Amino acid sequence: MEHDIILTSYEHGREILPGIYALGKALWLKTLSMVVIADLHIGYEEALNKEGFLMPRQQFRQTTEELEKLFKITGKVNSVIVLGDLKHEFGEISKQEWFETFAVLDLLAKNSKEIILIKGNHDTILEPIAKRKNLEIKEIYFANDVAFWHGHKFHVELVKAKTIIAGHMHPAISLYDGVKSELYKCFLVGKWKGKNLVIMPSFLPIVEGMDVLKSKELWLDLKFNINNFNTYVIADKIYDFGKLKEIAKRMSS
Amino acid sequence: MVGRIRFMKRPASNEQVFTLLGNTVASWFRKKFGSFTLSQRYAIPAIKARKSILVSSPTGSGKTLCAFTAILDYLIELSKRNELEDKVYCVYVSPLRALSRDIEVNLKGPLAEMQEQEGKEFGIRIAVRTGDTTQSERAAMLKKPPHILITTPETLAILLTTKRFREFLRAVEFCIVDEIHAMANKRGTHLSLSLERLQHISVMPITRIGLSATVAPLELVARFLVGYEKTAKGWQERECWIADVGFEKKIDVSVLTPTESLIYVHAEELSDKLYELIDKLVQEHRTTLIFTNTRSATERVVHHLKERFPSKYVENIGAHHSSLSRHSRLSIEQRLRNGELRVVVTSTSLELGIDIGYIDLVILLGSPKSVARAMQRIGRAGHKLHETAKGRFIVLDQDDLVECSVMQKAIKEKKIDKIDFPRNCLDVLAQHIYGMAIEQRWNVDELYNLVRQSYCYHELNREDFFAVISYLAGEYALEARDVYAKIWYDSETREIGRRGKLARMIYMTNIGTIPDESYVNVVIAGGERKGVKVGVIDEGFLERLRPGDVFVLGGERYEFLYTRGMNAYVKASVYRPPTIPSWFSEILPLSFDLACEIQRFRRLMAEKFTRGMSAEEIKGFIKKHLHVDDKIANAIYQYFYDQHAYIGIPHERLMLIEHYKAEKNFLVFHSLYGRRVNDALSRAYAYVIAQAGGRDVQIGINDNGFFIGGEKLHAEKALKFVTSENIDEILKEAIDRTEILKRRFRHCATRGLMILRSYKGKTKSVGRQQMKSEMLMHAVRKISQEFPILKEARREVMEDVMDVANAKKVLDWLHSKKIRVKHVNVKVPSPFALNLIMQGYADLIKIEDKLEFLKRMYDAIKKMQK
Repeated sequence: MEHDIILTSYEHGREILPGIYALGKALWLKTLSMVVIADLHIGYEEALNKEGFLMPRQQFRQTTEELEKLFKITGKVNSVIVLGDLKHEFGEISKQEWFETFAVLDLLAKNSKEIILIKGNHDTILEPIAKRKNLEIKEIYFANDVAFWHGHKFHVELVKAKTIIAGHMHPAISLYDGVKSELYKCFLVGKWKGKNLVIMPSFLPIVEGMDVLKSKELWLDLKFNINNFNTYVIADKIYDFGKLKEIAKRMSS
Repeated sequence: MVGRIRFMKRPASNEQVFTLLGNTVASWFRKKFGSFTLSQRYAIPAIKARKSILVSSPTGSGKTLCAFTAILDYLIELSKRNELEDKVYCVYVSPLRALSRDIEVNLKGPLAEMQEQEGKEFGIRIAVRTGDTTQSERAAMLKKPPHILITTPETLAILLTTKRFREFLRAVEFCIVDEIHAMANKRGTHLSLSLERLQHISVMPITRIGLSATVAPLELVARFLVGYEKTAKGWQERECWIADVGFEKKIDVSVLTPTESLIYVHAEELSDKLYELIDKLVQEHRTTLIFTNTRSATERVVHHLKERFPSKYVENIGAHHSSLSRHSRLSIEQRLRNGELRVVVTSTSLELGIDIGYIDLVILLGSPKSVARAMQRIGRAGHKLHETAKGRFIVLDQDDLVECSVMQKAIKEKKIDKIDFPRNCLDVLAQHIYGMAIEQRWNVDELYNLVRQSYCYHELNREDFFAVISYLAGEYALEARDVYAKIWYDSETREIGRRGKLARMIYMTNIGTIPDESYVNVVIAGGERKGVKVGVIDEGFLERLRPGDVFVLGGERYEFLYTRGMNAYVKASVYRPPTIPSWFSEILPLSFDLACEIQRFRRLMAEKFTRGMSAEEIKGFIKKHLHVDDKIANAIYQYFYDQHAYIGIPHERLMLIEHYKAEKNFLVFHSLYGRRVNDALSRAYAYVIAQAGGRDVQIGINDNGFFIGGEKLHAEKALKFVTSENIDEILKEAIDRTEILKRRFRHCATRGLMILRSYKGKTKSVGRQQMKSEMLMHAVRKISQEFPILKEARREVMEDVMDVANAKKVLDWLHSKKIRVKHVNVKVPSPFALNLIMQGYADLIKIEDKLEFLKRMYDAIKKMQK
């Protein structure tokens, strides 16, 4: 989806679980004064450059623009949770990538009292970053009964939660009218062992994500039936498309 | 001013040619052949006089010596005087790697005989340098350079950038471009710049020698060969002579059908009769060459002949096409030359000049789509220059029947269709400038002038040239300039130069113009034909398929089920309409000139019918006019009669537009101008129609017409609106979101080195290239709609894939009422429209943006949920 359209979606949040709002590609836990973002993959374009694709740089500018828009709506919050894969990794890290990563963290620090870094599968170099910024890295984090977890590796404490918020999967949905098909980022909201499970879209612009209607893989280290999940599509606002299996059924009829 | 490109009026006499040559070559020639061929009598004196020359003659014997005799003579005389230097005297370039070894053999043989005759060694070195040349052979060349270098366009560009080899190119005297007619594409554009770079390196003016099959217009090909030069008086064409030797062989050609009627016949019966006919023809001849247009058809024909006639075809049949290994192709060629094969089936790979020995019959299965190509193929038959070349078209449907019949008339009347070379290609330019910057520092104005020496870039404007410089200098990427910059550009000194340690390596490993493609097999998953391979589809296309999608391949509909490895499994005999456009099928397009001939024939037929002539009279006319037999005349008559009786016959002065309703509304345009023109026209009209309705519309295209399908279709408004003045602008918008632009963007991005196919020792799969190139295109668009690589992708789609130039002609004819338009409402499509409708839609003209589509889908899904 075009960057300028996504920007407007921050103005039209939608409550997807009691007290939990989808604001653009982020989540806002209003009463806890908490913002969650997942899978920023800073340096994604640079990784492509290193592979030999002359990708012009837009990611950093778009990411910071969206974050600023987000905090304009929420105001300064108590905490920001980075739900893993802050930095995309590919070989050596350039000065530019360090600069961008710190700039994003500075922007987050300016708008929140604390930053909580959750470890993702791409985050092997998160430690030096965290050290420099005096931040802690966690495998899992709890705020009351809400667990924040990247998703790639099961954690025993997950069972204690009432609501789990995960990333890692980069969910997107392809809509198809029998002639053409387009892909959109989305939130998935459903149940795992009686608990609420929210799967967040990637914050990374440029790429929509993985088509949940096409891919058979769940990605998350949990077992659940994705067909029963509710789908919230992100465009100029958040659209409630209902259950995934219903969408699939409607589109094939 | 007298034109500097001139036709030679008459050839030199045999004796004149002999007196021009030194003793050695003259006496060898006299002993060996006794006389010179016509083309040799044109070429040898011209080359002796250091005049550039284009020789147009059919492929066949004597070609190598036509170009090389004068040069060999020169080198031998130098050798006798001990004046042979260690340098490259002659560069020979052929688009076909396989031709290189042939040429080497054809040169070394005579040279050996001459040495024997003189009883001494001349010390003339001849070497082949292609992508296959081994490391040790290359090293040897650097020690002792070949006097005659045989190479390909790609390898030439590499040699031009190889420091040590360049030294040997400092005084090149001759350059031969073989199979020049096969260069009417980006390889040609690329070569045209290499030739100017070669001339720039060489202190001597290079005599250029072009060898071409029968094509038109020859002046254009000559201009492509020699280019332009800037003199004190300004720009002028370089001088070039043209020797139009024409088709020396006599041609015996006719059209055959397997059955009496092509309509009232079952597919199985047609197939049975087809192979019976092929078998009969093969048995009546010694060696038969069969051309099909596609690789999968080639395989199919071989398979069926073996299956149906197991005792006749075992070891003596072979297939030859580009996806076979080099080894099996070489083996087929060798066995052909040895006369061990009875029949060889090929797609297009044996069209060009590889020596294949004696062929006495060429069968053309399906229309070759252009007169020049048909002649090229048929010309493979007949051994000696003056023998008769025998060709037989076998047609399987009525459109092909008419097309091939008109084509054979055009062959008999020698009406050759025109070719053209892509011009001002910015991706190829970027690649060359990068290469040139690696060689040396350049003043940009000098560089611009050098580029304009090439025919393909003579009209290049300064803005585009500097846009490419800016792109290469990384000026479009403000945020991270050093990453993108491939060259440096100093606007003060107006100089450019190389940048980065890897520059040479990147250039050498990413050079060329032929894009990577990869294909997956389409295999039937179950039922009777389980496991049968029905064709191939592009890897990128496969990525878009969803299970349940119906697509068209080779005229048949298939439902996609699943993928396993490099196979896509499908269900055959599907009756649902296609759900996904088959943009992957880049079929040979019908040439515009031949299309116009068919349109003319249609008009003559329409006039006969409206004048109320009897069936016998009209059949008599067909026989006489097209030079066909009773059976063919009957079939053509029947086809036209059915059309006439239903809604009338569309022709060069009457465009019929059929309106009919099926699952949606359809407009069928009888616009027989070839698919390249129809591609342009249909997209322009469809875009205007879609905009008016606010919804996407489908289009279907073939050589004979196009259709537009959608909800609300205002044909009349669109016909009025689209003109030759505004079609460029309309198409620029209309193609903006198409698959073809995405694909061509990848090709251009790899040629323009925005995507490095090979980088730091790794190569990228086509799938990955395509995926990332789509992101790249999206990002580039935001920087500038006129970004040179994007602009080039658009140019390629509009000028190379489509034919906007001729589409403009048609639009002018429509607006000046030279073509009348008639709308007809029908319940079912007319006979002439049937093939077009059957093949399904080719693409979608997207108007609705992503957000609008989302909202529509949301409403639709919500409505159903209630």
